[in-house]
Amino acid sequence: MLEVKNVDAGYDFLQVIWDVTLHVADGEFVALIGPNGAGKTTTLRTIAGLLTPPRGQVRFQDRPINGLPAHRISRMGISFVSETLNLFPAMSVYENLLLGAYTVHNKAAIQTNLSFVFDLFPRLHERRNQLAGTLSGGERKMLAIARGMMSSPALMLVDEPSLGLAPKLTLAVFAALQALRQRGVTILLVEQNVNTTLHMADRAYVIEQGRIVLEGQGTDLLNNVHVQKAYLGI
Amino acid sequence: MSATGNVTQSIPFIRRMLSPTWITIWLTVIVAIIVSVAKGPFALVNSLVTGGMWALMAAGLALVFGVMNIPNFAHGEFFMIGTLVAYFVFNPISKYLRQNPSPAFAAIAPFAGIILAVVVGALLGFVIEKIIFSQLRRRSKEQWVMNTFLLTAGVSVVMINGTRLIWGTEFKGVTHYWDVDPLEFFGVNLSIDRIVVFVIALITIVAFWFFMQRTGIGRAMRAVAQDEVGAQMLGIDLDLVHMLTLSLSSALAALAGASLLFMFPSYPTVGLKPLYVAWYVVILAGLGNVQGAIAGGFIVALLQTLTSYFIGVGWEDVVPTALIILILLFKPSGLFGSEVKGVWEQ
Repeated sequence: MLEVKNVDAGYDFLQVIWDVTLHVADGEFVALIGPNGAGKTTTLRTIAGLLTPPRGQVRFQDRPINGLPAHRISRMGISFVSETLNLFPAMSVYENLLLGAYTVHNKAAIQTNLSFVFDLFPRLHERRNQLAGTLSGGERKMLAIARGMMSSPALMLVDEPSLGLAPKLTLAVFAALQALRQRGVTILLVEQNVNTTLHMADRAYVIEQGRIVLEGQGTDLLNNVHVQKAYLGI
Repeated sequence: MSATGNVTQSIPFIRRMLSPTWITIWLTVIVAIIVSVAKGPFALVNSLVTGGMWALMAAGLALVFGVMNIPNFAHGEFFMIGTLVAYFVFNPISKYLRQNPSPAFAAIAPFAGIILAVVVGALLGFVIEKIIFSQLRRRSKEQWVMNTFLLTAGVSVVMINGTRLIWGTEFKGVTHYWDVDPLEFFGVNLSIDRIVVFVIALITIVAFWFFMQRTGIGRAMRAVAQDEVGAQMLGIDLDLVHMLTLSLSSALAALAGASLLFMFPSYPTVGLKPLYVAWYVVILAGLGNVQGAIAGGFIVALLQTLTSYFIGVGWEDVVPTALIILILLFKPSGLFGSEVKGVWEQ
């Protein structure tokens, strides 16, 4: 479904990722792990079209998408839940969700998605008329994920959903991702919470200093000496 | 969904009515009423008529600043284009009507000029976005606000002098749109023109509000104002939103110009005064705050009416400016600035 081939990317004169190659199959749950500054977010931003890679190719459903503007990529069915969330603070939760379905023109489909995300996050239903800027950190994360789901994407790119969350909320967020996966949504997840992530993911890539250094089944990586030493502290 | 929400939120609603924003609005209304009762309703009537048009001007200015981060100093020139188009459409029609009187045609003729002015304004806004701002955006976003400020000042000079070159500097005005005796309201003689202008403003404000709050594309505009990257991530086409924003804002300015042709005869620099007033309003209300700009339009109009009546016409600009200095000293974000914030404020 998603193929990233030999991609270099970065910001102006600062190159962050070198020769990144990865792929995500239909229905798969793939994780991208690595330390701070390794280029995880840059990889996702490149796929989402917020950065244009000077070298390499990104293909989605067998069509090249590198170089397309971000809104076109979003319309093709890739939903990006960024680390900074990019919510609309002066709009209500409900309006944020409606904007998530901006590209959906079928009213019934919007209602279905709305009730799906309200089922998944009852908290958002309670707060649907509250301004997004007044939500707590955990609620904002939920809203960002829910908003990303409103367009019924084929692929979701989720950037560090557990960042800055209390352990209990982290679990809730991971449970939501599981629910999404059961719904058949393909997920590429960037996480620092390596243990939980590797248990959940079908496959994972380890990225260090801008290059992919390891790849494999989630459970295999849990037993990998390098991963245990560097990320799990075993 | 939002209807049920309003019921459950009735207590926050009351609290909101007591916020500084609404207290300012209530105070304005009370002052208008007191003056109306004491000195006759001229204050209320005049400030409603000009206020409606200032509100349209200021809403367009605030919209462009909010969505595109452009401090538009060429906004007044769209007002000028509005007066110009209305004049060139209405003048031949009124000449024709003098020879072949037809009450039905005379009643609707002014609207032809006003509608065409709106269309021309929107098209011009579209062209300027395409040939100027979208080019700059593609090349560099560094120092965006400063660069676009200089660009709009340049556009303003080009448009003023272009008009001067093509159509000359003489005043092109009409004495009235509708040749009907004025109506009397509570002892104030009010020409039909002024009543229609107020109705146009009212309808436009309601339509504009509906467009921004209830339609997908209006919501997308607000989304771009609040988080450009977030909007792109959801599939919102920034180019389209920018184009629509400048078109809409220019169309509002042209509408104001065309509607007020009987008060502001068209000449190349006719847009400067409305531009300054729109900036007073926008600074007073908070930069980029569209709803505040609409309320601010009426507040500034009331201030001007009261100033010109009690102090003198020459002071009309002095009092709002002095007030703005005071407001900026004590509340730099403007009167309503805290309620809606754009990205650049956070």
